[in-house]
Amino acid sequence: MPDRNFFLSPKASKARLREAERARENRWEIIKAHSHGQVSRRDLIKMGLFTGTGLLLPISGLSPFARSAYADSNIPTGLPPSPLFGVQPFSTPMPRFDVLPRNPVSVLNPAPTAQANTTQQPVDPALGGGTGPIEGRPPGPIWAHQQFTQLPPVIAIQATMEGAKVNTVYNPGVPSLQNSGINPATPIPFRFHPGLPDQNVLKDWTYNGTIPPKLMMVRYGEPVLFRLRNRLPVNQNQNGGFGIHTISTHEHNGHHGAENDGFTGAFFFPNQFYDYHYPIVLAGRNSINTTATDNRASGPTDAGGLNKIPGDWHETMSTHWFHDHMFSFTAQNVYKGMAGMFNIYSGLDRGAEDIVDGVNLRLPSGRASVSGKSWGNLDYDVNLMLADKAWDSAGQLAMDIFEFDGFLGDRMTVNLTYKPFMEVERRKYRFRILNGSVSRFFKVALSDGSPMIQIGNDGNLLPAPVVLTKLDEQGIAERYDIVIDFSRYSVGQKVWMVNLAEHQDGKKVDKDLSIAEALSGNSPDPCVGKFLEFRIARNPAQPDISQVPATLIPNPDLSAIPVARERVFEFNRGANQTTNDPVSSFFGPWGIETDNQGGTLAADFGRISAAPRFGTREIWTLKNGGGGWDHPIHIHFEECQTLARDGSAANVPAWERGRKDVWRLRPGGEVKITLQFRDFGGMFMEHCHNTMHEDNAMLLRWEIDDGGAPFLRPLPTPRPTPQGVTFVPPTEILPTAFD
Amino acid sequence: MNTQVHIKARRLLFSPSFVTLLIAVAGMLVLGGPSVQAQTTAAPIVDSSITIATNGTVTDTGTTVAVSGSVTIKCRRVIDTTTTTAVPLVMLDFDFSQLKGTTGTGKNVRTFVTGDNHATELRPLQASDTIVVTIPYFDSTKDVLSASSFMATANLTFDVSTGKLTGGTLTYGTNIFSSSGVGTFTVN
Repeated sequence: MPDRNFFLSPKASKARLREAERARENRWEIIKAHSHGQVSRRDLIKMGLFTGTGLLLPISGLSPFARSAYADSNIPTGLPPSPLFGVQPFSTPMPRFDVLPRNPVSVLNPAPTAQANTTQQPVDPALGGGTGPIEGRPPGPIWAHQQFTQLPPVIAIQATMEGAKVNTVYNPGVPSLQNSGINPATPIPFRFHPGLPDQNVLKDWTYNGTIPPKLMMVRYGEPVLFRLRNRLPVNQNQNGGFGIHTISTHEHNGHHGAENDGFTGAFFFPNQFYDYHYPIVLAGRNSINTTATDNRASGPTDAGGLNKIPGDWHETMSTHWFHDHMFSFTAQNVYKGMAGMFNIYSGLDRGAEDIVDGVNLRLPSGRASVSGKSWGNLDYDVNLMLADKAWDSAGQLAMDIFEFDGFLGDRMTVNLTYKPFMEVERRKYRFRILNGSVSRFFKVALSDGSPMIQIGNDGNLLPAPVVLTKLDEQGIAERYDIVIDFSRYSVGQKVWMVNLAEHQDGKKVDKDLSIAEALSGNSPDPCVGKFLEFRIARNPAQPDISQVPATLIPNPDLSAIPVARERVFEFNRGANQTTNDPVSSFFGPWGIETDNQGGTLAADFGRISAAPRFGTREIWTLKNGGGGWDHPIHIHFEECQTLARDGSAANVPAWERGRKDVWRLRPGGEVKITLQFRDFGGMFMEHCHNTMHEDNAMLLRWEIDDGGAPFLRPLPTPRPTPQGVTFVPPTEILPTAFD
Repeated sequence: MNTQVHIKARRLLFSPSFVTLLIAVAGMLVLGGPSVQAQTTAAPIVDSSITIATNGTVTDTGTTVAVSGSVTIKCRRVIDTTTTTAVPLVMLDFDFSQLKGTTGTGKNVRTFVTGDNHATELRPLQASDTIVVTIPYFDSTKDVLSASSFMATANLTFDVSTGKLTGGTLTYGTNIFSSSGVGTFTVN
């Protein structure tokens, strides 16, 4: 097979590598000019650098897929491999996530308010000067925190968004023994490996500006106020060549009002903050178990008991993540590091395996009797964020924002560390695996083909555990919760997590490899093969009493809820742009057709594509319009149930029979789902989570139609500026949106 | 401040290297550039499937288990219509849920099941393909935590002109990775 891969082999000739490096430098000039606002994508099309669909033309010396002067015909130039500076895989421990501090909400200054705090402050001249609000949330009643009085925040979690710096306050939430010997008191420079260069402050932007990635720990019945302060450079040019300093954080996939959802058009500027109110409630709280009498609908108390709450316990969620959702810059900003994870604890999923009360599922986590923590023990409950990265010849994070098919890195990281190892005990562990890549799909197996037990998919525990020897392909933003029992190994043995999904480009997986093929080292994809080494370091100090029950969380029964209507969304290449708003619309090669209305539309967050009625249930069909790519489609707000794949319920695999919020459509495939619209209102999104597709421009806005009370119908679109947010009417309302 | 206005105001401030690049690229375009990439057209999808009656034996921790049952393999061919160079793919779904294993005789018979097990594989379409997958199985009286794994080797044939799966065989064997996929290290 010809070498059509995204990255050149390190064995390529020096001439080809030089050619590729020149092409990358040339593209870099365009990227810088674009990201600095010196040239728009339309300008680049006029200049002949892009096609009408927004694709970079395969011009030699510019495109990685142009014909090389040093190769046979049709062989692309490829990108130069990221240098490793002599670093060997599996030579550094994997850091556990960095737990963000939880404090009483009273520590917040200023105190949070239901409506956005519009107290004025001076605005930096680089942002236009004058004065503007201290909070970037859109002002007024529409964007006020919903049910703020009924669900007042109890816990404050604060973070900043800033450039790479040394972490001096690392809190892994576990003893050093459970963190592969890492001493949390030792400052952690921002590097992908101790042997790789420090990252430049402008190249990596993360929550608190540090690694490891951050973890928020919350529990049902305890509303949280997440205050995020934007401390990115005021000068848009100070971005290290990609990324943008305006941000919006999506808690994926929280059940809360739209004002807290990280709406793509509700971004805010440097020197502002944004208060996100996460009520941490069960869906159906206003219609099911309203008197909070069911023990299973609950959160854990500090004393080891249950705090019963309203809502449907079948809607209990467990594993979320949070990430930037800036309109048309999500890929760049998330790639720079704006991603963390979000564990939700409940009566069912307690994070304390020794509490026996008939409700707790006792999944692997740790013992309350040892740690003194009645919930949220992380000893044997491990967050893993998988992400492919690339860096330039100086070892600095590199990205090509013009790979609209999808951007691939050539170096595998786990928790932002290049191919680490993790010490484990001979017992069961739970892993919450997040695909935090821009465009890469993973397919995870153990190197010895041993079984793994999948217990969760996206935010939700499955109705029943599923035993697998390799997980299904995992699309961007999907989360797979699995249990691995290391008791089958001996102390002193090691086994690896292996990626079996081989890419040639960012459009889709090109081949699922067998374990032998992946371990052979023959794949041209550098991210195939071993990426995480488990070292079976010792026997557990206490017997493993954790469980994986045969029944986890059954699906909510929706049979008595009528289907108000059906909608169809087709995800296509070759979008039309029917609106031209300079802030809310964006043009790119990707788009979405709604309800077979004859047009695939490029993104415009001012356009309303669907407006389901509040309190109803609908069925949505998500179609992949092509066979040359896959799309992981994400729907915000409430978890959905998968009714059929490719027209048949029998095609829904066991691991997708729970609730989900991201679906890989598969090439040429389609998925039928059902979802409800309740408890909260506002404007939400639906988009491809291959974030290069999302940004270019496979995203739409839908909103919950409550008939005009208490919300307006339709909702006005926010337009943030540093001097304040204004509102404009929707740019377009599709004919079938409200009917 | 409207940031868009701000952006437009700075558009003339191209860096010298960017201007140089544009001139160079303009030269390349004069010499001839490739055509615009094709737009979406309907992806021709071809579905097919076969069901194979299978049997074999596997050995696990000294126990020989006889495995038998029918396996249905569904196949969908998909084509990238936006490029002429992409290799057509097939998406395969192996349904191993009907497989059962037995060992022992009389009162000592033990039955093994595979759970609701499917293997999904995306592969380039070719006339023949050998696919090796591992399959979990566990004692039907126990839970999934007791699972072990064995291997299945599928030799499949396809009609590359239509993309249909035309035939295949499945053989079972002991999981060879259970030893080769495990390493050792020195415990501190």
